[in-house]
Amino acid sequence: MNVIGLDAYLLLGALLFVCGALCMAMKRNAIGVLMGVELVLNGANINFVAFARYNPTFQIEGQVFALFVIVMAAAEAAIALAIVLNFYNNHLTVDVDTAEELKG
Amino acid sequence: MQLDNPGLLYVAATLLPLASFVLLLLAGALRSVARPYRDQGGIGASLYETMGGDRPQRTGAYVATAAIGLAFLLSLVGFIYFVKDHGFGGHREGAHAVAGGQGGGEAKPAEQEGAPAETRWANHLDFANIALHSGKATVLTLGYYIDSLSAIMFLMVTLIATLIHVFSIGYMSEELTPVVEDHQVHTEHGPLQRRGRFGRFFLYLSLFCFSMLNLVLADNLFQVFISWELVGVCSYLLIGFYYERRSASNAANKAFITNRVGDAGFLIGLLILWTYLGTFNFQDIFRELPQRLADGSLPHWIWVVTGLGIFLGCVGKSAQFPLHVWLPDAMEGPTPVSALIHAATMVAAGVYLVARVYPLFSAEARLVIAYTGAITLFVAATIAIVMTDIKKVLAYSTVSQLGYMMLALGVGGWVAGIFHLLTHAFFKALLFLCSGSVIYGCHHEQEMTKMGGLYPKMKTTALTMMAGVLAIGGIPLFSGWYSKDAILAQALGFFLLHKEHFLLFLLPLVTAGLTAFYMFRMWFMTFTGKPRDEHVYEHAHESPRTMTVPLIILAVCSIMIAWGMPPWQAELSYLGGHEGLLQMSEPTAPLESLHLADRQLTEYVHENHMVSERLAYVVGGLGLLFAALLYYWRVLDPADAKVQFAGVHRFLWHKWYFDELYSAILVRPALTIANWCRVFDTRVIDGLIDNTGKATIKLARWDGIFDNGVVDGLVNVTGRVIYASGARLRNLQTGFIRSYILFLVLAAIAIFFVLSYFLTLAQAGP
Repeated sequence: MNVIGLDAYLLLGALLFVCGALCMAMKRNAIGVLMGVELVLNGANINFVAFARYNPTFQIEGQVFALFVIVMAAAEAAIALAIVLNFYNNHLTVDVDTAEELKG
Repeated sequence: MQLDNPGLLYVAATLLPLASFVLLLLAGALRSVARPYRDQGGIGASLYETMGGDRPQRTGAYVATAAIGLAFLLSLVGFIYFVKDHGFGGHREGAHAVAGGQGGGEAKPAEQEGAPAETRWANHLDFANIALHSGKATVLTLGYYIDSLSAIMFLMVTLIATLIHVFSIGYMSEELTPVVEDHQVHTEHGPLQRRGRFGRFFLYLSLFCFSMLNLVLADNLFQVFISWELVGVCSYLLIGFYYERRSASNAANKAFITNRVGDAGFLIGLLILWTYLGTFNFQDIFRELPQRLADGSLPHWIWVVTGLGIFLGCVGKSAQFPLHVWLPDAMEGPTPVSALIHAATMVAAGVYLVARVYPLFSAEARLVIAYTGAITLFVAATIAIVMTDIKKVLAYSTVSQLGYMMLALGVGGWVAGIFHLLTHAFFKALLFLCSGSVIYGCHHEQEMTKMGGLYPKMKTTALTMMAGVLAIGGIPLFSGWYSKDAILAQALGFFLLHKEHFLLFLLPLVTAGLTAFYMFRMWFMTFTGKPRDEHVYEHAHESPRTMTVPLIILAVCSIMIAWGMPPWQAELSYLGGHEGLLQMSEPTAPLESLHLADRQLTEYVHENHMVSERLAYVVGGLGLLFAALLYYWRVLDPADAKVQFAGVHRFLWHKWYFDELYSAILVRPALTIANWCRVFDTRVIDGLIDNTGKATIKLARWDGIFDNGVVDGLVNVTGRVIYASGARLRNLQTGFIRSYILFLVLAAIAIFFVLSYFLTLAQAGP
């Protein structure tokens, strides 16, 4: 029988990471970019969890790190949404390309 | 009344003229300060008026005269105390043997009563502590030392100075106007016009009196040196009193510079004494000198050099050959100055100093002194014969008489030399003041060739001057006779003892005749015969009483100052005789230990006194006779004599060509060298400095280029590079999230590859 190994998980994590990265790169909507960030983080989470499952020396740490990342993602999402909200108040849009005042 | 320190009377007498000087100086300074406010009223203007205002005031003259008059009274009181203390006309102990025991009996040693004479008549206070290298600490002191020499000098100086102050009030009265015209100075607007300088004259006179008295008062050579320079300065200031006249300022410079030559020698002597003995005090020096010479710690030749050095100073100050050239030129000063400074007192300071430090002169040095004096007296007398300027005649006569004094000191006649100094001071001051009176009466005409027949016009002047002429001519019973007689006797004694030095007797003997000749010539030319210049004769007048009274007093002094009891015995003069006042101060005790006092000489002098006296009569009579023949009876024609002895006359008229000689061997080489130095300065030193400057500028320019180009360039390039790279790099900050993500991803991939590379390395490693 074909056992699902570590590689599959890592592949899935990489896929999620790439999807997230592409989403960040492609989306002009700030909310979309945030979603991409969530995808990247979760891709990393899958890696943590997968390593926790397959690497006995990493059992607890992998899960704890995954939980950390989730909490951090939540916090990050809160802050990022607050920024987006403020941005919207100032610019009446959430298009990230209009945010270029700090351009060098 | 009993005084504990009668010597302090003399200190007070010295300080009085100084007080007057300071007072006049302050008044003058206040006047100058207040002058800018004279038109604005208020305190400034009233101060200006109080201090004299525009018109010179007589007040200054009265202050100065009162000061010096008071000084005279103090000296007189001090002198009375001195006589009470020391007795009158006795020898100091230890001198009896030298004088043949003649004066021993009357000598009253008065040291027993009251304070010891040392502290009564001499004291000093420390002036500056100076530590010597040898560890022996010595001090410079200011002090006074009164013996009969200084006591009599004080009397002489203060009396003559007082009379001359009084005389000057009359003589200088032309300086009392707000505007004085000096007809000898020509500017483009006619004769020079200046403010009268009446006060300034008395200011200088006061300073001079203080300096001169301080010189006499001093108990140490250091103090003497200070006063020495001070009288030199006063002389300089007063010769140059009419400094707008080129001749006057030149004469002042000449006097000052010539004296510097002498002072260089003086300084050498001082330094030697300081180095070897560590003291300047006269008494200390005289006490130590014989011991130092005996134990050999002071070599004999050093002794000689010291004496010669100090004598060189005296040569300068007393206008002796070869430094005599300044004195005749010094006649550019006002006549009272000539009388006081350049006849009676300052020029005698050199003689006084020689006498004061007599034990410092070894036998060799004294011989030099004697010959210097002999040459001087002869040279000056010959020049005086042909001079026609009345003051020049007197000037050369002064030089000649100073030569007599030096000669006397040189041949061991200490008393004779000082004696002549004192009598000469009176009759020469008299003669000068008389000449001043004549000049004043003739409206500043000094040439005797324009005078003549003035006797009826100015009888007082003529008669008093005759007294002076008789005195200097050595006519018996006149003061000059006593002193000149003593000198000639001394010279004769010396000649008999040392036959090779016959010139030391011959020259003064011949000169005694010359003296009589030129003095009577002067008097005859001035006062007798037909007037040579009608204009001068018509306007001639007798001088006012302020001028004639001093003349009369001085004339009386010139006649009687040297009298003794009875007057016709020259050796019994109370002043310079064997038991005279001066004998008390003769430095005998140290002299004996230095083998200076020559008993044989003293005996010769006494034995042959009559010989020299008679010779002097003959020679003086001849001089008088010739003068009368030429200028009174006119049996012989002076013009004819001039033609017959044209060469001699020209030689004498040019004053033995001394000025030309000095000009040729000293002045012109000095100017040439100065010129070379100037050329060297402008060419070499200035060139060097200029070129250094130019090179520096050039170098700075190069340095500027380097700085601007290289250093600044480097800094600028750095800045520019950084700025440019910054400008490039800012383009990376696009502001587009996508590009940031792209970098992020690329960075992640790059990290991935790097990590995997290291991982494979790590796995392959072990």
